[in-house]
Amino acid sequence: MRRIGRAVSVGLRRSLPMAMAMAIGSLMLLDFFFDEAHINALGGFFLESTVIIVAFALLLGLLNVLTVHLRRIIKREGGWIYSIALVSIALIVIIAGIPGPESAGVTWIFDHIQFPLQAATFSLLAFFVATAAYRGLRVRSLEALAFVLTAVIVLIGQVPVGRYLGEFVPALKDWILNVPSTAGVRGIIIGVALGTIATGVRVLMGFDRPYTSERDSTQ
Amino acid sequence: MGFLSEVLGNLGIGEQQALMFALLLPFFPLLLIVNRRIRERGRPPLRPIPGYAELQEYLGEATESGRSAHVSMGTGGIGTGATAESLAALNVLEHVAAQAAATGLDVVATVSDPSLWPVAQDVVREARVAQGYPESNDPGCVRFVSSDKVAYAAGVMDILGHEDVSCNVMVGSFGDEFLLISEVGARNGLRQVGGTTSPQILPFVYPSMDQTLIGEEIFAAGAYLLGKTSHLASLAVQDWLRSAIILTILIGILVRSLA
Repeated sequence: MRRIGRAVSVGLRRSLPMAMAMAIGSLMLLDFFFDEAHINALGGFFLESTVIIVAFALLLGLLNVLTVHLRRIIKREGGWIYSIALVSIALIVIIAGIPGPESAGVTWIFDHIQFPLQAATFSLLAFFVATAAYRGLRVRSLEALAFVLTAVIVLIGQVPVGRYLGEFVPALKDWILNVPSTAGVRGIIIGVALGTIATGVRVLMGFDRPYTSERDSTQ
Repeated sequence: MGFLSEVLGNLGIGEQQALMFALLLPFFPLLLIVNRRIRERGRPPLRPIPGYAELQEYLGEATESGRSAHVSMGTGGIGTGATAESLAALNVLEHVAAQAAATGLDVVATVSDPSLWPVAQDVVREARVAQGYPESNDPGCVRFVSSDKVAYAAGVMDILGHEDVSCNVMVGSFGDEFLLISEVGARNGLRQVGGTTSPQILPFVYPSMDQTLIGEEIFAAGAYLLGKTSHLASLAVQDWLRSAIILTILIGILVRSLA
């Protein structure tokens, strides 16, 4: 009796999540392709449920952040001072947000701290692009040579001085951007679309099961 | 064509959706057929992808040096528009986690979307259980950094700069923050493998990474790294459908030119 119960339990643990994933996935697919009131209503319900589940996942994420940094503080691991700062600031923002996300405290924190910090961090991108370009311009292979030549032609074609060298420079730049570059981008997009479809179909058909511990039924 | 449009209109399907349906529908039976064929006849030959081949070497170097490997799974999550990229990143994490569990390598995995965190946690835990080391599971090895992209980049930059990381793997959906993270890795001399699907971000990937995975190559991780039959089958189906699309484009060009 116990063995039967265990077998049923194991079977349910394997098949129930898969059956739910396949059923709900198929429903969402039908909702996308067909415009029918009942399917639309069910699809909308599951989409709203996703938002709620993600909100709970955000709480889990916050707990993870606090766990990692509290452990660092307790064990005095490297950078534990910064962990104290992070935990303190997290608690301050949580307390400031108790009256609501639009409260004066949260608004002030975002306007005077969060957004300026974001802008400052993103401003590093300009310098990082320059260093990345310098590293990328080292000719190590045929690909790198093509990369360098293309970059030089497009750069010169973009600036006014390119036109002084000859009309063919901006024309060549335009051709590079409109023909091989666009063709390459479209090829990548087609490949990505097929890869995305393949990933979704594998989950729909139960080949991939990221929602269980048994990830693949056909290893 | 008019009749077809009318039928589709009655069913509530737009023309674009009908084209997408036409692309999606063959996948199901083809995947089943090819999957079965691979199980009967064995694994088909795959073209080498240097990114995956070199990843093995980088993980080996990290193990020998006693340092850790970092896996960034991008700023997408489960249930977002980047779900496919996130699932691809999970395949890479599964491989790295399995290698780490077998060799004692420390792994730090970071996520930006909280929906990905429990799944990534489960992947790493299962890898350790499969290798027979469930007690070595460290809940802090998978870290949710921040759902804000810039804050996520700042957090990962700190990990790469101040924790003893030897190998950095970045696979998933990324925006401009990719360059912020990868440049820190490059400056610290880390061995880096990265890939994303966005054509706007790929120019950042190529100069800052040692090995680049371009576009759909990230979706091949399950086939190349884990050898999963269904992934091998879907690679074959993708190739067939790609050939069909190319043929359709060429026929369309000919018809338009001759008409």
